[in-house]
Amino acid sequence: MRSQVYEWSNLATTNQASTLRRTVDAVPQLVPINREYDIFIGGIGNNITKPAETTATQFIVIEDIACSAYMGGAVQVRINTTDYFQNPDVTDQAGVPGLASPYPRGSSNVAGALVDAATDSTQLLKSFDLYPDVYVLPGQVFQILYSCQTPLVGATATNTIVVSAFVKYTLYDGPDALIANKLLELGVTINPNNVDWYKRTLIEQQQRSRVAAVASNGGSA
Amino acid sequence: MRSQIYAWNSQSGVAATSWSDAQTGTATSIFIGGFGNNITKPAETTATQFVVIEDVAVSPTLGLQAGEAAGSIVRGLESGTTNGVFGNRAYIQVRINTTDYFLDPDNVGNDGIPGAASPYPRSTNFQPCFNLYPDVYVLPGQVFDALVTTYQTGAFASATPALEGNQLAAFMKYTLYDGPDALIANKLLEMGISINPGNVDWYKRTLIQSQSAAPAPTA
Repeated sequence: MRSQVYEWSNLATTNQASTLRRTVDAVPQLVPINREYDIFIGGIGNNITKPAETTATQFIVIEDIACSAYMGGAVQVRINTTDYFQNPDVTDQAGVPGLASPYPRGSSNVAGALVDAATDSTQLLKSFDLYPDVYVLPGQVFQILYSCQTPLVGATATNTIVVSAFVKYTLYDGPDALIANKLLELGVTINPNNVDWYKRTLIEQQQRSRVAAVASNGGSA
Repeated sequence: MRSQIYAWNSQSGVAATSWSDAQTGTATSIFIGGFGNNITKPAETTATQFVVIEDVAVSPTLGLQAGEAAGSIVRGLESGTTNGVFGNRAYIQVRINTTDYFLDPDNVGNDGIPGAASPYPRSTNFQPCFNLYPDVYVLPGQVFDALVTTYQTGAFASATPALEGNQLAAFMKYTLYDGPDALIANKLLEMGISINPGNVDWYKRTLIQSQSAAPAPTA
């Protein structure tokens, strides 16, 4: 099991809206408002080669999501075709606002001109905690969708604003993924501690059955 | 067992090995990368050592808007170019032997933890939203490394080096278990128990208790 992080920014080269991985001195790209963009393969900023998905031997637990707190930014989690965050009337919503889960932590909700940023002392803290975590089961596709409500344009049309989004997750693979599935069946929260606990119980069970086998053989192994 | 720390600064070395813009976009070891302060040989564990990496961090980054003059400063971070990115846009990856620890969801190794998620130094402006849990284990005989990659030129140093956050720096916190503690760490690993000083002490106590509970040998 490994702690993993993915960071997205609307930064790409001057002649491309998106690039695979990151590029040096990349420039900000416009993100159309009120539309959700997959931070993995959305076609803006740094992207990866294929949709984020788990293989048959992987299990992912998403533990935190965050995004820039300005321009009405928000992040939504989608598993296969289902959005995780919904309104109370079960209609769609943009997800967790950057104001509630800012990235970077301590940044401001004021975007734009340097002259404003230089005098702005806002240091936002998170008021949202992704608990319980979001589980991505083996074989599922997941998306982290970023959207903004205000055009990413600063003082002039060329002053495109830089936005970012962030996801922190733990990847369980191989035997750890099998244990994660078992814990899910048992209704036990999936985290590194509980996976370790399950491993210990397996080892203890094995030791007990070995001792019992020796005893039933009259003391000989 | 000993709590250990390694701090790297890209400008700490002599002039010939100070970081330059030419390094931008290239993953560079903070131990033996040839830039900043380095050590004499690759970081590795001996047969009687066990290392648990508990935290990694690198200089933070902040985004504003494109078009601001290069060299502008916000919250202690400098914009190297006019793209609106302040700071080095730095990432730190952990490598064990030849395997990168942090992967993208397409299972391709990535640049690692962004400085915006795990900033060094930390301040009220730049707080962590990442903690390295579960820890990274370096087993006896393994080589480990921390690689820094930046994507912003011109932001690693300025005419005003008094600004702490303006330097390209990285940090690693780890615990070194050696001698019998390393043996216990291996045992805990076999048992599926997290390796930390509390659990190593717990294992020692159980050993002592089982020894004192055993009947005295007859003459």
